[in-house]
Amino acid sequence: MSGARLVFDLAGAVAIVFAGIMVVHRNPIKSLLAVVVSFFAIAVGFVMLSAPFLGAIQVIVYAGAILVLFLFVTMLLNLDTESASSDRRPFQRGLALLGIVVFAAILLSAVRRSGSIVGPSGEPPATGEIEPLARALFSQAALPFEAVSILLLASLTGAYLLMRREPPAKTGSAENRP
Amino acid sequence: MNVPLRDVLVLSVALFSLGLCGALLRRNAITIFLSIELMLNAANLAIVGFASRVGGYSGQIVVFFAIVVAAAEAAVGLAIFVAVFRHHETIDVNKTNLLKW
Amino acid sequence: MTAIDWVIVVLRPLVPVVGALLLVPMLTWAERRGAGLMQDRPGPNRVGFFGWSAFGLGQALADALKFFFKEDITPDNADAFLYTLAPWIVMFSALVGFSVIPYGSTLPIAGRSIPLIGADIPIGALFIFAMAGLSVYGIVLAGWSSNNKYSLMGGFRSAAQVISYELAMTTAGAGVFLSAGSLRLTEVVASQEASILRWNAFPQFFGFLVFTISAFAETNRVPFDLAEADAELVGGYHTEYSAFKFGAFFMAEYVAMTVASGFIVTMYFGGWSLPFFHPQGLLGGLVSMAVFAAKTGFFLLTFIWVRWTLPRFRYDQLMRLGWKVLLPLAFANLLWTAILVRTGIL
Repeated sequence: MSGARLVFDLAGAVAIVFAGIMVVHRNPIKSLLAVVVSFFAIAVGFVMLSAPFLGAIQVIVYAGAILVLFLFVTMLLNLDTESASSDRRPFQRGLALLGIVVFAAILLSAVRRSGSIVGPSGEPPATGEIEPLARALFSQAALPFEAVSILLLASLTGAYLLMRREPPAKTGSAENRP
Repeated sequence: MNVPLRDVLVLSVALFSLGLCGALLRRNAITIFLSIELMLNAANLAIVGFASRVGGYSGQIVVFFAIVVAAAEAAVGLAIFVAVFRHHETIDVNKTNLLKW
Repeated sequence: MTAIDWVIVVLRPLVPVVGALLLVPMLTWAERRGAGLMQDRPGPNRVGFFGWSAFGLGQALADALKFFFKEDITPDNADAFLYTLAPWIVMFSALVGFSVIPYGSTLPIAGRSIPLIGADIPIGALFIFAMAGLSVYGIVLAGWSSNNKYSLMGGFRSAAQVISYELAMTTAGAGVFLSAGSLRLTEVVASQEASILRWNAFPQFFGFLVFTISAFAETNRVPFDLAEADAELVGGYHTEYSAFKFGAFFMAEYVAMTVASGFIVTMYFGGWSLPFFHPQGLLGGLVSMAVFAAKTGFFLLTFIWVRWTLPRFRYDQLMRLGWKVLLPLAFANLLWTAILVRTGIL
């Protein structure tokens, strides 16, 4: 077993364990922290798959910005731990769980023979270097790059508008209020 | 760097299933959203796994854009949650069936 | 890989880490003596060893022992797990940044030429930015788990500050990566080796300013220490911490300062290199380490100097500076650097 594979499997095990903690834990903050660890482990996985830039981006953007945003909102809303008793529908939940298990089993059986699913295409394998990735990003993917920056601007504006409180009434109408 | 594709895909399937569990079985909207992000990450991992086998950088570029789009979506989604919370004082999805009359 | 190779691989990142940890007591001493110097008073100069008041150096040891022996309190309704975890997240994120900073050229030992860097990864600088971003979690969790409104406020403010200045810092850094043509820190140093005018601080002066000011903000040092705000919020996010956990926060701040200084030196001042100095052999390697240490020491003293000179920013002033002044300036610097690189000057 090569070193890279060993590290990847370890990181994968950590990712699965903490994802499991996230799904099971009642406290929203603890489950969020479990997800942070899980994403960190996924970033390690990216590095093992010769995508170190993506690993860094995963930590900086996903674990370091998106999940911090989640953390802020969770603390802002001051959510209590989810009450386990209210509104239980055991039959529905059991059925959902069964469905997921079946789904996972189907996928796993499909994945078993994945050695022959795809083969190398003509292109050279990705090394860990940034420059070829950057060349491809800014040449082939230049249009999506610009489009995505506009998408971010739109989402920024949208988030601000959704979050702001009603602007104060103008002074003219304030006199009329009781 | 030689990670067999099967390991990557098994991990991806496991994470996706866990995310699906969280999305279907939890009631807290933020936890559901987190599970969806986990599913996105599982898909990203699968794409990078395939990219490492197929060669080239297209897979990594796709994942790059997927991460960016997920960021945009998270920002707007959380803004919606906060707006809903201000209105309803709860974020339990069983209680915020707003369109029901 | 023989046993020696394993030992070398383990030691390479450990040298700066251990050096930084050993430097922390010296930094606390320097801080207090420096404060005294700037406030026209002696500072601690009595606590010494074996009857000799060694310029007050014993004070550092006394402070460290104090942290060990003070009573370790956990507040009543605090979340014990997060409360204990938070300082170590901050400490980890500060220490791990050392593993990619080149602290010397190469050392020829045991027949091998050992690069004096923990790990020369292709995404070197991004790694430091990533780890710095993780410190936000430690801060926010410390504020939240203390079960104290003021800690929470301090935690949120500090997290928002770190995130905002992260942007300005990485954009300023982008100018350096553009001129060096790589994210690898060894190549960043190599691109500055030629002459002193190549040190990125000179052609990219405003980028250097933005980067350094953001580094102050990232490490929560004055004038951006609103999170701690010693005289206002009591202690900000570490109000409720005592003894060893507070000691961990305290040390983590100085370690972060050291990493930031090392990072600034690597990006803008040529790292371990001097213009007409081509290190050869064992002596050359050791001298390059000394050069790096000297430059880093200069910036550490600058951190201390600024702390006792400038007043503290108010929170809205701080945010305005980060978003409306530093970020546009960083973009302008990026444009300027792009022009320089394109016209072949850099």
